[in-house]
Amino acid sequence: MDGTVLSIWLLRLLFLTLLYLFLWGVVRVLLRDLRAAAREPGAELGRLLVLASPTGEPAVGAAFSLDAVTTLGRDVNNTIVVDDEFASGRHAVLTYRGRAWYLEDLGSTNGSFVNGILVEGVAPLGFGDELQLGNVRLRLERARR
Amino acid sequence: MTGVGRRRLHPRPRRRELTLLAIAGLALVVGSASLEATRRLDPTGSSAGGPEAGFPPGGLLAVYLAGLALAHVALVLAGRRTDQILLPTVGLLGGLSLLLMERLPQDLAGGLGLGRTQLVWLLGSIGLIAGIGAFARGDAWLRLYKYSWAAFGVGLLLLTFVFGREVNGQRLTLAIGPLSGQPSELLKVILVVFLAGYLSENRALLVEQSTRLGPLRLPPLPYLAPMVALWAIALSIVVVQRDLGAALLFFAVFLLLLYVVTARASFVVLGLLAFAAGGAVLYEFVPHVRTRVDIWVDPFAASRAAGYQVVQALHAFARGGILGTGLGAGLPEVGGLPPGGIPALHTDFPFAALGEELGLIGVLAILGLYLVVIERGLRIAASAADDFRAILAAGLSLVIGVQAFIIAAGNLKLIPLTGITLPFISYGGSSLLTNGLVVGLLIALSDRGAEPPPPPQAARGRFRRIFDAVAP
Repeated sequence: MDGTVLSIWLLRLLFLTLLYLFLWGVVRVLLRDLRAAAREPGAELGRLLVLASPTGEPAVGAAFSLDAVTTLGRDVNNTIVVDDEFASGRHAVLTYRGRAWYLEDLGSTNGSFVNGILVEGVAPLGFGDELQLGNVRLRLERARR
Repeated sequence: MTGVGRRRLHPRPRRRELTLLAIAGLALVVGSASLEATRRLDPTGSSAGGPEAGFPPGGLLAVYLAGLALAHVALVLAGRRTDQILLPTVGLLGGLSLLLMERLPQDLAGGLGLGRTQLVWLLGSIGLIAGIGAFARGDAWLRLYKYSWAAFGVGLLLLTFVFGREVNGQRLTLAIGPLSGQPSELLKVILVVFLAGYLSENRALLVEQSTRLGPLRLPPLPYLAPMVALWAIALSIVVVQRDLGAALLFFAVFLLLLYVVTARASFVVLGLLAFAAGGAVLYEFVPHVRTRVDIWVDPFAASRAAGYQVVQALHAFARGGILGTGLGAGLPEVGGLPPGGIPALHTDFPFAALGEELGLIGVLAILGLYLVVIERGLRIAASAADDFRAILAAGLSLVIGVQAFIIAAGNLKLIPLTGITLPFISYGGSSLLTNGLVVGLLIALSDRGAEPPPPPQAARGRFRRIFDAVAP
């Protein structure tokens, strides 16, 4: 009988140990994953993905890392050069203030659109929203982390 | 490689998932062996269920492990870069549930018996996880129809109010023909989907605009309406359904998501104040709530009547101590209420039973497993491509975490007891299937290479115009 009791004790302890072995395995994976995420240069606040661009400048599918202030327009001094015949030289500026994104139209000739609505002055943006300058359409996405 | 339809199969190995599944499987096999050995030692004693005739000991577990392996194969064949932690973690929780249900009196569930019925539901849950994790690519079906989903949820709730069957004084179960289930389980998923849609669309406005009221900065007034509506729904669930747990869960998840989206403590303070006010009123006027709170304050005042469950649960934890009594050696008889048994153990008190049999060490490991689910969910949220997916992932994982906390803390007399299920461990089909749905969605959401989100809709109409009028 003693042998049975002893083996039951061993099985119980082994079971509890295995539960913690599983947790240890998971935590190891989680830590590796978090460290890998921390190593990446993660300074970008968001990304701007090009959805449509008839002239190919910027190229469709390109993704721009965003800082707090990003200017858009035909002029080469803009952060993102939008070479489209319906875009103005200094067309719009995308800013990250506090906790939210804003698109400000800089008095462009043909206007800027957020989700198809003409921007008058400043419009707030969320991740997943679409902007349109001239024929170029872009989508604001969260930074890759 | 063979083509399936037009899409070719591109299997992608999931080594981490396989390793973790192997450890989980080994742990469960050892647990099952320990259960069997304890039963043989004392065949007349506490394990009233006993192995059923014609079914070898551990047979249920073998079927369950085969189900997990199949789910793994399905995810490998799908070839997506998705999360590899959630399936083993949830699988281990489900396995623990199976071990527990196998050793309880089998007559708690009619027909197949407790263990087998639970196995069927667990397999369904795993199937949902694998199916959604492998096939759900786009999220437009959730994103675009949030108001339809919300209407469906409210409709379900109203149906339960009117046609619900009362079980143990709670009107939770809705039966349509042969199907019956607890809509509040599904409702929590619908709530998260709706909140994700609503908050992601109005995030910029909620963060920036505010109405000042003394020292408090309230959200803009038009946006208070849905919040008040949710508060009212939570209250009505308490009053009409007498379901404190679901109400607490909905409200907590709502506040947490609001904080996740806006990072404003004032919203949370406001919500807590509303909660305190609602709680005080309910305590005064709803006898059901008053009983629950009184039991919580002093269960020993009526230890043979209303406080019986809670007192017995406390005794169970005390008997368990640090290492526990061992699987199969606890005293959780339910049917005839012998001294030491806890009524409704398989649905409301599995945490106390596990606390007795696995002890403090085992219970801490189980809480650790829930923490892992939350951590994975929040990581998936942090790396999601857009707001909707981020809020959805955060909300889904918080639903599981908050629900586990509410019932575990209730079992431990940390908060008043509510009749809510412990995710993946409690007995019950509605609960297991919905939680399978939740984890399946989380796995699908973790795939960053998935279909891009659909173009946002322009129709923000009225609210946008209000904002334009206010904006400088």
